[in-house]
Amino acid sequence: MIANIRQSISDWIFRATIPESPPVTLVQRRIFILPSKQGYLFALVLLLLLVGSINYNLSLGYMLTFLLMSMAGVAMLHTWRNLAHLRLRPGRCDPVFAGDMAHFGVGVETPSQTRFAIAIRRRGEEPVYADVVPGVTNGVAIPVSTRRRGLVRAGRLEVFTRYPVGLFHAWSYIDFGLTVVVYPKPDPFAGSPPSQSRSHSEEGIPVAGEEEFNMLRAYRAGDTPKQIAWKALAREQGLLTKEFSAMASSELWIDWDEARGADLEARLSVLAHWVIQAEGFGQSYGLRIPGTVIPPNRGDLHQARCLEALALFDNPEAAQ
Amino acid sequence: MTATSPAVSISAPLDVKNVLWLLAAMVFVMAPHVPRLPYWIAIFCAVVIAWRGWISWSAWHFPRRWFMVIVTLASIVGIWLTYRSVFGREAGVALLIVMAALKLLEMRTQREVTLAIYLGFFLVLTSFLFSQSIPLGIYMLVCVWIFVATMIGFNRIGSSPNFAERLRPAAAIVIQALPLMAAFFLLFPRVQGPLWALPRDTSAGRTGLSDTMQPGQLSNLIKSEEVAFRVQFEGDMPPYGLLYFRGPVLTEFDGRTWRMPELSSSGQLRYSRRERPVHYAVTIEPHQKTWLFAIDVPAEVPKTTTRAGVLYDLQLRNIVPVNQRMRYEMTSWLDYRYGEETPRVILMRLLHVEPGRNPRTVELGQKFSSETTNARAFVNRAMQHFSTQFTYTLEPPKLDLRDPYDDFLFNTKLGFCEHFAGAFTLLMRAGGLPARVVTGYQGGEVNPLNRELIVRQADAHAWSEVWIPEEGWVRVDPTAAVSPVRVEGGVNAALGPIGVLNSLIASDGSGMLPYVRYAWHMMNSQWNQWIIGYNTDRQRQFFMNLGLPTVDWRTLAFWLVVATFAVGGAVSFGLLVRDRPPRRDPAVVAWQRYCSKLAAAGVTRAPYEGPLDYLARVKSMKPQVAAAAEDITRRYIEARYGAGATKAELKELMQRIAELRPA
Repeated sequence: MIANIRQSISDWIFRATIPESPPVTLVQRRIFILPSKQGYLFALVLLLLLVGSINYNLSLGYMLTFLLMSMAGVAMLHTWRNLAHLRLRPGRCDPVFAGDMAHFGVGVETPSQTRFAIAIRRRGEEPVYADVVPGVTNGVAIPVSTRRRGLVRAGRLEVFTRYPVGLFHAWSYIDFGLTVVVYPKPDPFAGSPPSQSRSHSEEGIPVAGEEEFNMLRAYRAGDTPKQIAWKALAREQGLLTKEFSAMASSELWIDWDEARGADLEARLSVLAHWVIQAEGFGQSYGLRIPGTVIPPNRGDLHQARCLEALALFDNPEAAQ
Repeated sequence: MTATSPAVSISAPLDVKNVLWLLAAMVFVMAPHVPRLPYWIAIFCAVVIAWRGWISWSAWHFPRRWFMVIVTLASIVGIWLTYRSVFGREAGVALLIVMAALKLLEMRTQREVTLAIYLGFFLVLTSFLFSQSIPLGIYMLVCVWIFVATMIGFNRIGSSPNFAERLRPAAAIVIQALPLMAAFFLLFPRVQGPLWALPRDTSAGRTGLSDTMQPGQLSNLIKSEEVAFRVQFEGDMPPYGLLYFRGPVLTEFDGRTWRMPELSSSGQLRYSRRERPVHYAVTIEPHQKTWLFAIDVPAEVPKTTTRAGVLYDLQLRNIVPVNQRMRYEMTSWLDYRYGEETPRVILMRLLHVEPGRNPRTVELGQKFSSETTNARAFVNRAMQHFSTQFTYTLEPPKLDLRDPYDDFLFNTKLGFCEHFAGAFTLLMRAGGLPARVVTGYQGGEVNPLNRELIVRQADAHAWSEVWIPEEGWVRVDPTAAVSPVRVEGGVNAALGPIGVLNSLIASDGSGMLPYVRYAWHMMNSQWNQWIIGYNTDRQRQFFMNLGLPTVDWRTLAFWLVVATFAVGGAVSFGLLVRDRPPRRDPAVVAWQRYCSKLAAAGVTRAPYEGPLDYLARVKSMKPQVAAAAEDITRRYIEARYGAGATKAELKELMQRIAELRPA
């Protein structure tokens, strides 16, 4: 009850403008700082030490009390500074299959010295700790467990630290609008996609792929050695890449109507399994589900496109 | 470049290294208590701490709850059996230590670690109940440092810091906290304690004069090098032989023991002559008794300690026992005459001789008295007796219990001040002259660095006062007759060095060692005056010295706030100055200017385009500036990626860019 009220008050106070354009620098006014539970307890300890010192007239007791108190003050500045001026940018949020661990990636950079024990967490979840070293973008992956397919939003992230002595909790909120696509969990008992594929496409339309040699073009970084025209290189024509086009002659259609399942999710699982199978066979395949038709193709990108279509089918805002 | 770190869960078991650091910090902070603790507690703590270390080291299981409960109850009972109490200073500290050790044993989570560390801070405080010396202060500062380093280790979640990575940031925090600590120490409004009754056993193990005297009692005191008090003189120090610090005056005698009277009344200081004033300040160590010390004879009640008074026998008494270090300012008269009109009833009591005890001594006194014509001659006759046949020693033989002074005067003839003073006073009384024993301190050691007189327990002394008609009370020191050097040069001179250490440092005045010793004493004196003795009065004095005669809590609060902000500002500045972005390469600034100029002309550099690719595009799209662009690009590459550029070359580059007209 009280926790809920506190949560809503803090939501109201720290409401963020979302989403933000990266990179975000944690400037002074974005950072909040309050004593941690340990810090409040420490204040009580200080009070007891002071009372003891007064009672026994211990000058060194006074010194101890004031030293610890001043240290808490200095530590507050250190804690705040440990968070100040960090730069955050969104990182990789790779899609996963339902039931797997997904990760929201956040890149953290420090302008000067190493910042220790920087933690990032989603509301109500365990934080992830990382030391942020200068000169590189430190990737922090915030894990999230997935149960259903769909889109998981990271929501507002809390970046906080208690280093060095844990007496203070300095924090800031960021929201990059990070999302992870969760594919339907493939149904391993779905078997192979039905072989009686029906071709709906016209004959002879070239589709970018690797099937048939099409042309030579200038080499671009990332082209595989398999595609390089070694003969042309030997003829001193420079580094060229062979481009192929797949003639969409024999293709497989993965069709909503052919998938049998108890419910919608079961059907999507079957379809997801077929997509993976088809990709594994090296076959060109297309996907047809109500509202979406993805023309036949192959490759990782195509597979991702198909699985994403299944993930987001009829359910654009799935919970985790 | 990226570096990805794995997720770390906070609920993992405590890191072994961190636990070992905490255990080490605890051992450090408990160590000063060990000599005071009974053996079983020290061993108990050692076992418990080793056990906890083993649990972490080899992932051993924690003891069961019922076991912990039994051990806890058993240790409380053990402490009760040892001290017959669980409160009070000694027992309370023992209990705290045992509980801290047991807390370590069952510590599993970060939260319990925090509690253990806080207990450690309390242990630091309890050490100060027993001593507030400079070495202990420094040692405890180191302990706090280690505790902070431990806290840093536990808060470095996600990585395990090495030695330096713990100690260095901890040192930074401690050092940055010191100025604010000093400000608070000086400015925080002081309240004179205690807030509640002090535990009864605070006097345990303190040495000092007592209110009784019997032969041989002082000798243990005289071997103690503990400081009794320190004296700072305003102006010149009186001659060494006149430094008689008056303490308890003993008048009651039972044949063996001299005692203070049960009742003493305060009296008017009626001196018929008082000359040669001497002004001085005494910083007295706590001795748990009410008496204070003043040079014979005190002039007035101390100004600063209003709760003290002078009794009719010139004893200086505080209302409450001196249980903390205390400083008072005094004036004394070195040349005086008083007490001629002492009532007969009082004088009669001072003639009392316990019948049947020490018969030969009484007989001797009567003999001396009958041989002489007046009081002065009688006193001199007795003094002469001491100067001829007696030897000064701190190792006198044991005396007969019933007639100790007979034994001393006629058999052993070996003794020191209290033997002489007691026997002499008894002789005087037997001869019909009112007399009493005065105990206190005589002499002391002068610190040449600050001209301070250090009076130790070893300087404890006893002498006699006799009442001579028409003259009043006269001090007679029979020890001076036996060993004049004791009175003129101190007890060490009379005896030779005591112990090895003293023979090293006290035997002669040459070389570095005395200098070091005196410097140490001066430091201690400053420490005692300004650190340990810093109280309400000192605080007022401190502000008086600053020219602020009246200081109320508002002024203090104001300055505290100022100090807090000053220190906070300085620390923040120091921290943030490191965050300023590095100065940008002027070549890059120039290059960006060049690019934006071309972009305005329609040739925007793509983010992935290097200078040479960009140049190629500029050349093809803007042929009219090809030569200038090539020149600028070449200069930029040389400045940025080549040998670098001088100031003149950079200026030249800026000039070329300014002259570029791509549009």
